[in-house]
Formats: sequence, C-alpha cells, structure tokens
Amino acid sequence: MSNSSANILDIKNIEVRYDDVILALHDVSLKVPKGKVVALLGANGAGKSTTLKAVSTMLASERGKVTNGSIEYDGNSINKQTPSQMVGLGMVQVLEGRRCFGHLTVEENIISGAYSRKLSKGDINQELEKIYTYFIRLKERRKSQAAFTSGGEQQMIAVARAMMAKPKMLLLDEPTMGLAPQLVAEIFNIVKELNTKEGVSILLAEQNTNVALKNSDYGYIIETGRVMLDGTAQSLLNDDKVKELYLGISKKGRKNFRDVLKEESLTKRSN
Amino acid sequence: MVDELLFFMEVVVGGLLAGTMYSLVALGFVLIFKASATFNFSQGAMVFFSVLAFCGFMQDFNIPFVLAFILAALLMVVVGLCTERLVLRPLMNASEDTVLMATIGLGYVLEGLAQAAWGVEVRRLDLGIGDFPVPWIADNLKLFISALDIFAGLVAALMIIGLFLLFKFTKIGLGLRAVADDAGAASSIGIPLKHIMLLVWSAAGVVALVAGCMWGARAGVQFALVDLALKALPVLIIGGFSSIPGAIVGGLIIGATEKVLEVYIGPFFGGAIEGWAPYVLAIFFLLYRPEGLFGEKIIRRV
Repeated sequence: MSNSSANILDIKNIEVRYDDVILALHDVSLKVPKGKVVALLGANGAGKSTTLKAVSTMLASERGKVTNGSIEYDGNSINKQTPSQMVGLGMVQVLEGRRCFGHLTVEENIISGAYSRKLSKGDINQELEKIYTYFIRLKERRKSQAAFTSGGEQQMIAVARAMMAKPKMLLLDEPTMGLAPQLVAEIFNIVKELNTKEGVSILLAEQNTNVALKNSDYGYIIETGRVMLDGTAQSLLNDDKVKELYLGISKKGRKNFRDVLKEESLTKRSN
Repeated sequence: MVDELLFFMEVVVGGLLAGTMYSLVALGFVLIFKASATFNFSQGAMVFFSVLAFCGFMQDFNIPFVLAFILAALLMVVVGLCTERLVLRPLMNASEDTVLMATIGLGYVLEGLAQAAWGVEVRRLDLGIGDFPVPWIADNLKLFISALDIFAGLVAALMIIGLFLLFKFTKIGLGLRAVADDAGAASSIGIPLKHIMLLVWSAAGVVALVAGCMWGARAGVQFALVDLALKALPVLIIGGFSSIPGAIVGGLIIGATEKVLEVYIGPFFGGAIEGWAPYVLAIFFLLYRPEGLFGEKIIRRV
C-alpha cells in the first residue's frame, strides 16, 4: 500500500439518508490527521453519531446509507466494508451509551474486544495486563458482572474493550454522556494517554464542547447535518460565536449558527 | 402403603427421565433464542428432518449407525449454513417478528423436503436400547424404569455439560454470549454475527438430531414429532427462554408433573390430561413469573 497521506481519515462531502428518505447528513467533510485527536461537536440530532456510523460502516444495521461523497480510511475507500472488516483494519467505534455486555464479567467484556484477532491465551493475558495499566479501576472489578458497575466504569469497559482490538483509530461517541465532572476528566485523561502512548488517532463526538476542545487538536462544529465551522481546538475555544453558542458565554438570544448567519446577512443587506 | 410409595416414586422418576427428552428439544430453542431473540418455530421440523435423514441413511443406503449419525449431523450443519445464508442474512436488519415468521416458513420447507426425500411412512428407529424396565433396578429397588429413559437422561446430561463448556470457555462461546447481550455492540468490536448465527443454528440442528433419536426410538420416526417438539413451549415458559439450565429444569418439571397429574388427577377428567396439563402450568408461570425460573431478568442498576 502506498500510503504516505498524512490523514488517517478523510471524509469528503458525504450525504447520509435513513430508509432512503430521511436526510440526516447534507454535506459533511472532515479530516483526521494521523495520531491526532479531532472533536466533532454539535447538539442532539446534529449528525454526530450518523457521521461516526458512516465511518465505521455501522449505518447499514440502522437502514442508513451514504448516498453521496466518499470516505477514505488509511488511503482506501471504505465503500464495501462490513463493521467487522473495519475492526480488522484497525478502526473501532465505541458506541453511544457504552453498550457493555451486561451479563458478562468486566474481564470477559474486555477480552471480547480481541475477538477479531488471532491471539493465544498467553498473548491475551499480556494485552489485558497492558490495558489494565490504563484502566486501573477496572482491574479491581475484573470479576464483577458489567451490568452492576457504575456509568463511568462502563464507559471505561467500552473503551478498554475497543482497545483490545488494537485499533489505529478510535471513534468515540459521547464518551462523557451522563458522567460527573471528575469522571469526565478521568475519561479524557485516559483518552489522551491512549492517544499519546499508543499512537491511536481519535475522532470524538461530544456535546461537552469545552472539555472536548481542551483535549483535542482540531474541532468541527456541525448543525443539522452540515459542518458550520472548523479550526484548531485553540482557535475554536477563542472564537466568539463558539463561546456564545456552545460555551454558554452568551450576549444575545441566538441559539445556533443558522440564526447567526441569518442575522449577518440581514445586517449586510441593510448596510 | 410401601407399594403405593414405590409406585409414586416410579411415576416421578419415570416422569423426570421422560422430561429430559423435553429438555433436549427445548435446548435447541434456547440456543437460537439466545443469539437472535427469536422463537424458532422450525425447531420441531428440524427434529423431524434430522432424524428422518438419519433413518434414511441407515435404512435406504445401508450406511452403518455411527457413520449415518455423523452424516445426519453434517447435514444439519449444512441446513444451518443455508438458513444463515438464505434466510437470516437477508433479514439481518428486519424486525424480530419478521424473523419469527420466517422460521415458520422454514419449518414447512424442512417438513416438505424431509418427506419428499425420505417418504411419508412411519419408520422404526432402533438405538439398541430397549424401551423396557431395567431388570437390575426392578430387582433391587423394585422400581420399573425404562432403559431408554435412563439413556436419554445421560445423553441430555452430556449435551448440557458440553454446551456449558463451549459457552463458558471457548472464544466462539464468548462471542455468542456477547451477541446475546447486545448484537450491535458485538459487531462494533468485530464479532462477525454470521459466524455466530452459523454456530448456533448448526448446534441447534445437532441437538435436534439427538432429541429426534430419543423420541424416534420411543414413538417411531413420524410426522407427529413436529408437534411433539411444541411441548418445548411450556418447558421454556417455565425454565426461561434464554437459559440452558432453565431448559433442563423446565423439562424435568414438565415431565414429572404431567406424569403425576395424569396418574393421580387424570381419572377425574377422564384421563389423557398429559396433553394439556403442562400448558395449564405454563399459564400460571406466565401470570406470576413471566421470565421463568432461570430466565435472564433484565438487569437494571438502581
């Protein structure tokens, strides 16, 4: 494979429909450079999860389809891949809502992530020990049934499980949903560590704009299925519109980018 | 008095052992229910199809017993393969109800195929184990218990131990339990659903063959096996649809109670209550314990 491209993921102008009718994404383009953390920000229903599922090819199981545009992962189109093939290629999604296997133990959950790899028992234990160095809390609870662990622990299980597949790239869908601030920080610390020590590229969908941008290199803001703004994490954190609309540092009653654009075009016209 | 007690014991033990044959049929349902959350209405047809093929191989082609059994088991793996490819995969994203309807259709196809290939007459299946009381037990314990019942009990126990080991200690077993919990999450980490489906349908096919052999040896290999398999429904309601131990215990409970009720209460109803008594029991379970004795409760953390 001649693959000198600097981007591990390159999404170009994709359009996604559910049931052939409902248009979920109008036009989304984004790039994830190798070894970087990219945040995908937006409110409920903006299209964050849909974008991630388009990349992991899990759309099909929800009767969704990429109807336009292209997605390239590691230099190759993902057009004809299945979710398990994508995992084999090193792209693993951590679904929204953690989705642990409730009746399995914590350790069985994590081991199940290695399903797609051909590993011996010894190799699995070795990998497991390495994973536990990032998720110390899980080692203490390894024999518990996953359904009875806390929300934060379940999120860690979900990420640890994905790491067992030895991903080159992780797609994290709202990893901090419903978690207390301390746990949010803990989860992001782990994510950053995995990024720097294991070299995993990360595309992160979040509503928690502030924390997400502080832990990312680059950010995209989407609204109603369109990218509204993108830039380095630092520039977005300092952007007035982002501050107003997403960080709650508000002056006027504007709610989203569409309102902002409308107002701007109105003022332009009156000038 | 002693005689009466012995007679009661005989009824209960005979019922329990006969119950293991229900357990065997129910096992096939549980396997498929675990992986696809669907009640497989074609399980009865699979029992009929597999054991008729087994008899056909032996009686029409003079293939020796063991080889014929292996061939029939392989045939059930092929049936599993075809089911996965032709029925389940196209319905991958369909609702559970759709898959349920598809299994009813599949049942008719299997029944038809079996009869087209091997004919419609009742066949005798001789496992080399008679359906008569074991002399040693009759002499020493004064209990009349059929050798076939004891054999069926042993076979059921072996199958259960085997399946337990498969699920608990193998990689594909872990995959199956993961899929049973959350198929979407399982596919997100690269567990290929089609392998799991294939495994489950093949295993259910082989279990059907074993159950069919037991029933066929007792009642003859005939079309009625299809309906007999439906006895598994009350077994599953009592034991829980998703639990292997539940299938076993449910089978034992149904076996024992239906025999006891038949003998002691049956005469008041003019006999032959075996046919419907299990369903009455099942209705009580549905009213008071709908998840069954061992069914996985939906776990909610408080």
